[in-house]
Amino acid sequence: MTGQKRKAAIVGVYATEQARGLERSIWSLELEAIKGALAEAGLSHTQVDGLIPMDYDTPISLHMAWTEQLGGHPITYMSIGNASGGVAKAASAIETGLANVVVIYFGNANNPNGPRQLKMLDRAPRVKDWMFLVHGAYMSVWYAMWTQLYLHEFKAERDYFAEYPVKMRENAMLNPASLMGSRGPITIEDVYASRMIASPLHLFECSLDNDGGYAIVVASEEIARDCKTKPIWVIGGAEAMYTDGYQTITAPWNDPKGAAVKRATEIAFGQAGITHDDIDVAGLYDCFAITVVRNLEEMGFCKLGEGADYMHEGHLWLDGNMPSNTDGGLLANSHNGNPSGMHTIEVVRQLRGECGARQVKDPKIGVSLAQGASVHGLAGVAVLARD
Amino acid sequence: MEIEPYLRPLPMKEPQNEPFWEGIARHEFLVPKCNNCGDWNWVPYPACRTCLSEDLTWTKIAGHGTVMTFSVVHRGPPTFGKEPYGTVLLELPERPRSLVILGNTTGMNPEDLHIGMRMKIVYEEIPSEDFVMYRFAPA
Ligand SMILES: [Zn+2]
Repeated sequence: MTGQKRKAAIVGVYATEQARGLERSIWSLELEAIKGALAEAGLSHTQVDGLIPMDYDTPISLHMAWTEQLGGHPITYMSIGNASGGVAKAASAIETGLANVVVIYFGNANNPNGPRQLKMLDRAPRVKDWMFLVHGAYMSVWYAMWTQLYLHEFKAERDYFAEYPVKMRENAMLNPASLMGSRGPITIEDVYASRMIASPLHLFECSLDNDGGYAIVVASEEIARDCKTKPIWVIGGAEAMYTDGYQTITAPWNDPKGAAVKRATEIAFGQAGITHDDIDVAGLYDCFAITVVRNLEEMGFCKLGEGADYMHEGHLWLDGNMPSNTDGGLLANSHNGNPSGMHTIEVVRQLRGECGARQVKDPKIGVSLAQGASVHGLAGVAVLARD
Repeated sequence: MEIEPYLRPLPMKEPQNEPFWEGIARHEFLVPKCNNCGDWNWVPYPACRTCLSEDLTWTKIAGHGTVMTFSVVHRGPPTFGKEPYGTVLLELPERPRSLVILGNTTGMNPEDLHIGMRMKIVYEEIPSEDFVMYRFAPA
């Protein structure tokens, strides 16, 4: 049996409304999410003793402010990161006695990632010396360059990349909370017909860019057993960082040695004692199809250069052997600034059996993966299991 | 440039990078080269990433490279104008530590970009900002 380690569990998850142009503050979205996730678990804010904000630029003063906002009860664990890595660290902190109830949370309001982030000013703004915006290389442009290189290097089938948003739209149509589900199905032809954003990527191949918040509560075994929700145990988890944020790029970009996603996966799977075949459901960070393709390679589901073929074989689709991003993912559900927690929340809901029309049949083990920074320079992996 | 005055973001020229921007102003692209192990380092850090020596010299590179990958951006931020622009990751010949530089194309139709294409670093005056910026042009 896999996953003997059951000392900490995800006991509460919550996502606020996810939409473009919410008239909310970041603080308000985060507060709603924290309260919602604690309420789901049946816990009080007075029990929180660990804080992991997901903002990439988190200073310690942010932990201090949230300590006061939550009533001034002592916080004994404070960390940073992406959601999968946050879950891993929360569980580790709980196992070693540093904390009992850790909240991972994020909110985004009117703070776009895409080209809208640069406003029209009457003078050229000044940014850090090696900042990619000097060259108009916002996130979609980076992933476009990565896709372009991959297609060239491995002679990958272009249509397999366009197929990904089609499948994610199908998932979103089964998720009433998704941004794109109500728009109906799309075809590969629709993807190619949508306007070019950054070659080779069309609009339908780019992640959404919206507002919203979420929170995830991780608690000790003792507390988890008394919560209102079914505990989703953290049986493995790790994070890894290989480079700075979209400044230093190495050649080869797709390094056969692997990088952060490979390293974090190896540690997390090793802790959990699982193999790839044990995973019933997954949340794989999917800002663009190339990210999923490379995730599959780095995580060891297939070899470098085979990710697009592997994806096309259908393993990740709802009727596949490891349905992934069943909520519609970042292309069709929500991409709210740092959306890494959305994948974890969907995996938790799948393991609890709460997903309605998109519910995977009786999943026992799930994995959530987050990535970012110079593409695959930063990663977090959490391995989750139900009783 | 298409939009006048120039409204795209520009580097703030941080003090530790002053020699770099002085080099760009006289049309020389300088990269910190380690006097201890010989490695080049891009982007610049205070010490060599290979041996951690702080004994670095801003050294002129050959000034050409090959296109590792690229994108033609049709939907850029508003200040980048309506015409598509080319964004390139240029791999330089200087080694052993790889040097890959991000930049925009100039003097060509970006639709003509292809992986493996040889390009040279060129310099563009931005009079309204009293700034010289590096760009990539076909070699
Ligand atoms: Zn050195």
